[in-house]
Amino acid sequence: MKDSLYFRSAYNDLMKNKGVNVALVVVLVLSSFLMATGSMVMERLVGSVNQLFDEAKPPHFLQMHKGDDDPDALARFAAAHPEIDAWLVEEMLGFDSAAIAWHRPATGGSGDLADSLIDNLFVTQNEEFDFLIDETGAIPRPSQGEVYVPVAYQQRFDLQAGDRLAIRTDNGFQDLRVQGFVRDAQMASSLSSATRFLVSGADFRELGRAGGGEPEIIAEYRLADPSLAADFQRAYESDEALPKNGQAVTFQMIRIINAFSDGLVAVALVFVSLLLIAIALLNLRFVIRGTLEDEVREIGAMKAIGLPHKAIARLYLAKYRVMTFLACIVGGLLAVIATNLLTRGIQANYAEAPPSVTAILVPVLALGLVYLFVVAICRGVLRGVKKIQVVNALVHGSMLDERQTARRAERQARRVRKTSLASYRGGSISRRLAFLDLRAEGGQWVLIPIVFFLATVLMTLPMNLLSTFESPRFVTYMGAPESDLRADLQFSDDIDAVREDVLSSMQGDDRLTDVRAFANVLYETQGEGWEILRAEVGDYSGDTVEFLQGERPEPGQIALSVLNANKYQLSTGDKLTIRQGGESTAIVVSGIYQDVTRGGYTAKMQGEATTGAAGYVIYANAADGADPAAVAADYSERFPVATVIPMREYVQQTLSYVTGAFRSAAVLSFVFGVGVAVLITSLFLKLRLTRERRKMGVLSALGFSIGEIIAQVRGRTILSVAVGTLFGLVFAATAGESLVGLFISLAGLGISNLAFLPYPLLVYVAFPLILIAAGYFGAVVLTARLRSADKSGWLKG
Amino acid sequence: MSHDDHVTLESRDLTKTYHSTDPPTQVINGIDMSVRKGEFLVVMGASGSGKSTLLYSISGMDRPTSGNVFLEGRDLTSLSDTEMSRVRLTRMGFIFQQAYFLNNLNIRDNILLPALKAAPKERETAIARVDALLERFGIAHVGRHGITQVSGGQLQRASICRALACEPSILFADEPTGALNSSMTIEVMDALTDVHREGTTLVMVTHDPACAARADRVIYLRDGLLVDGRELGTWSEEQAMQREDALLAWLRKMGF
Repeated sequence: MKDSLYFRSAYNDLMKNKGVNVALVVVLVLSSFLMATGSMVMERLVGSVNQLFDEAKPPHFLQMHKGDDDPDALARFAAAHPEIDAWLVEEMLGFDSAAIAWHRPATGGSGDLADSLIDNLFVTQNEEFDFLIDETGAIPRPSQGEVYVPVAYQQRFDLQAGDRLAIRTDNGFQDLRVQGFVRDAQMASSLSSATRFLVSGADFRELGRAGGGEPEIIAEYRLADPSLAADFQRAYESDEALPKNGQAVTFQMIRIINAFSDGLVAVALVFVSLLLIAIALLNLRFVIRGTLEDEVREIGAMKAIGLPHKAIARLYLAKYRVMTFLACIVGGLLAVIATNLLTRGIQANYAEAPPSVTAILVPVLALGLVYLFVVAICRGVLRGVKKIQVVNALVHGSMLDERQTARRAERQARRVRKTSLASYRGGSISRRLAFLDLRAEGGQWVLIPIVFFLATVLMTLPMNLLSTFESPRFVTYMGAPESDLRADLQFSDDIDAVREDVLSSMQGDDRLTDVRAFANVLYETQGEGWEILRAEVGDYSGDTVEFLQGERPEPGQIALSVLNANKYQLSTGDKLTIRQGGESTAIVVSGIYQDVTRGGYTAKMQGEATTGAAGYVIYANAADGADPAAVAADYSERFPVATVIPMREYVQQTLSYVTGAFRSAAVLSFVFGVGVAVLITSLFLKLRLTRERRKMGVLSALGFSIGEIIAQVRGRTILSVAVGTLFGLVFAATAGESLVGLFISLAGLGISNLAFLPYPLLVYVAFPLILIAAGYFGAVVLTARLRSADKSGWLKG
Repeated sequence: MSHDDHVTLESRDLTKTYHSTDPPTQVINGIDMSVRKGEFLVVMGASGSGKSTLLYSISGMDRPTSGNVFLEGRDLTSLSDTEMSRVRLTRMGFIFQQAYFLNNLNIRDNILLPALKAAPKERETAIARVDALLERFGIAHVGRHGITQVSGGQLQRASICRALACEPSILFADEPTGALNSSMTIEVMDALTDVHREGTTLVMVTHDPACAARADRVIYLRDGLLVDGRELGTWSEEQAMQREDALLAWLRKMGF
């Protein structure tokens, strides 16, 4: 009975103020939708990754290696370490993307994989662990003539089972039939720089014999206790006889790398959702306070007939409970659809997690928290009912008691005493009035600047992040010089000769200037035992790399990446002992720089290394008029073993996993930011204009035209919008940048001091203009209806 | 059209219908009336008879549904909102039941506002005129006060000052004493009578026969129709009682 009274009251109230309530519900739906989607994406990601890990059993530690290796040393090492549960050495054959073509007999369609920059490794199925898994979760074992292609390629090149794959070897093409597609726990992430194709043992041997592929191995270990992976890695790296000419990865890193790239989208969704919840709460507070002021006489009457204040507050709360509940339901349902769309990629790359309780529990819990939080805030605002005094409410229609009324009158009197229209010699009197109103009623208008502040932050931060990661100048965070071209020479038997060829060709090329070669040399240093330290040895003169602290290394010095400096707890001027070929030397740290490449752990030394390096990188600038892309294409053709690409493309490809997430976040935030700005401005003005009816009636009677009255409202709106937007921009460029920088540095990417590289015209001109236009649009829509109103009706209140 | 020089304001077949109700409410139902120059006209009638609606329709605050309103021969119903606003600013003054003021301005600024708006280039004249009004109505000492710091009577006198700030040719008053006690009512009516004596045309809506007795003429509305009118002649304090008694007798006959 009582409940139905509350419900009826809520229903009537909802119907009475449809416009305002709809706007509130929309903001609440958006908030709950994003919160539910973010939590569901996270849950599915974790579920999918776990599922794939269960099926594929990835290694707890792996070491990639190119070049000769000593199988006996690996066997000795395994025998000496009882913590190893199982181990294997996977042989692989790496083929360049351009060497792999496909065609579809059914349609005659064909193409190649040349657009892909990652390594293509042909392998056979493992026996004990690290399986490649097909789409059904089974462990496929291809017959001769069959190949299983990575799911990433299936999506990217739209490949189908039944297509033919032709691999160019030194002995002509080897033709294989695409039997299916495989997921790869180790290399699933878009962050991975390589991917694996599955072939039969016979085809693998045939490919090896035919030549053209680069042999590589991965030494893989499953440990009895996976948490000991870091200790195991140290033990492995301190054994000089073991192969380690490539990346070393632990189980934990595989997991983090997998979760990080796709998890960024989920984090962005939750971030946007939190800002929207803040906006929704501000609105609710504004609306509830407004309602209480409007209905103070009714509340007074209810108190007068003896209703306790809690019962009255419950009467009002019922409406907000219904609204929030509805919003959570609708938001949750929309989230189910959105999540299915968003997680298609995740499910294809990883695995479809079996239905579980957590898949339902996580979003329900997230929505439950949103509901409880919103209702708690509403309850807090409704506590104002308790303070309403019956007589003041009924007689004066005031929420204030006598002391508060007196204080307010005093404040008002003090203020009006200071203003004088008589001494005002500025322009329009109408403008002056708008300004005085805004000054006196700033507190009531504060919602607009706050909402626009939040909307600006919401729109600007993801866009600045995106532009920063997309900027060619981002190379300064990649420990590389700002140049136009990058040639990457990976380890091969004749790498030193290739380096010499490429370098001399480039140096003699008129189209290129400032050619610099850097060698990736493996040193060892004293951490917890001797550990591998990768240093890029080359010419750093001319301040080509930006240093966060200190300066470029002189001969006999070393510069460290932020993560290495943190790892070894070194700062500029400290000494570091390095070892190569059994010979130790102590060198001084000259500076610290930011680097996101190679997991963020790199070092730089001045000098020239022409032999014994694990790989080389050559940077060059294009001479005036030369097109870096054309030059890169030319060199790629002449030197197939070298990866030569324009710097811009290198940055884009290397960071595509992050920029993709940031782009989604930027687009989403832009749409939501502008939408919410229009919605809130409209909602605010609808309520505000209702409260200003009497004032507008007076102005009209005094001879102010509707045009002038509307201009006053629009002027105040624009000013509030502009102030909020301006503060938002300043915040985003200062504290916002630091906050994002903190988030990025916590993410362990290797950047500890991020400075935005914004698109200035977009962020500092277009965004504010769009937001101001959005606010103005809301004001235009809401004030337009004033023209047809009867002004005498305004005076009746 | 031909125009009687003695008539300041005239309405012809004026109707006003509110379409926001279901069914639409016709509040004024074809009213022809005129106000003579310098006349003090009172509009009376029961609640809901259309008095205030008539006042706001002839003063250009609201647009009539049909019919015409002429001020000094000019058809107000054909004016744009901006033109009508200008007419309200320079030719009309308003006094309401509640003294509606802008609470972000002090009393003096509230009165000064229309004067400065009407003639921004003659600000010194406007300021002098307003200060003279404040003196005349005995509220100069509260000019810098906020609107919550003065009494209801002072506030309504300030309303009269504001209505007179642009030296209008006609003053509209909607129940100006409706929210005041008896002594304040007399104070305000004395002020209005003074204004009228100085030649300002005055149209007032009231429920109070004592206030109505001060008028030159009273018209009576019932259900949106003008049913009758009565000439009272010029008011004097000595004859106040007799006028009031006679008016009451007539009003009773009207069903008041």
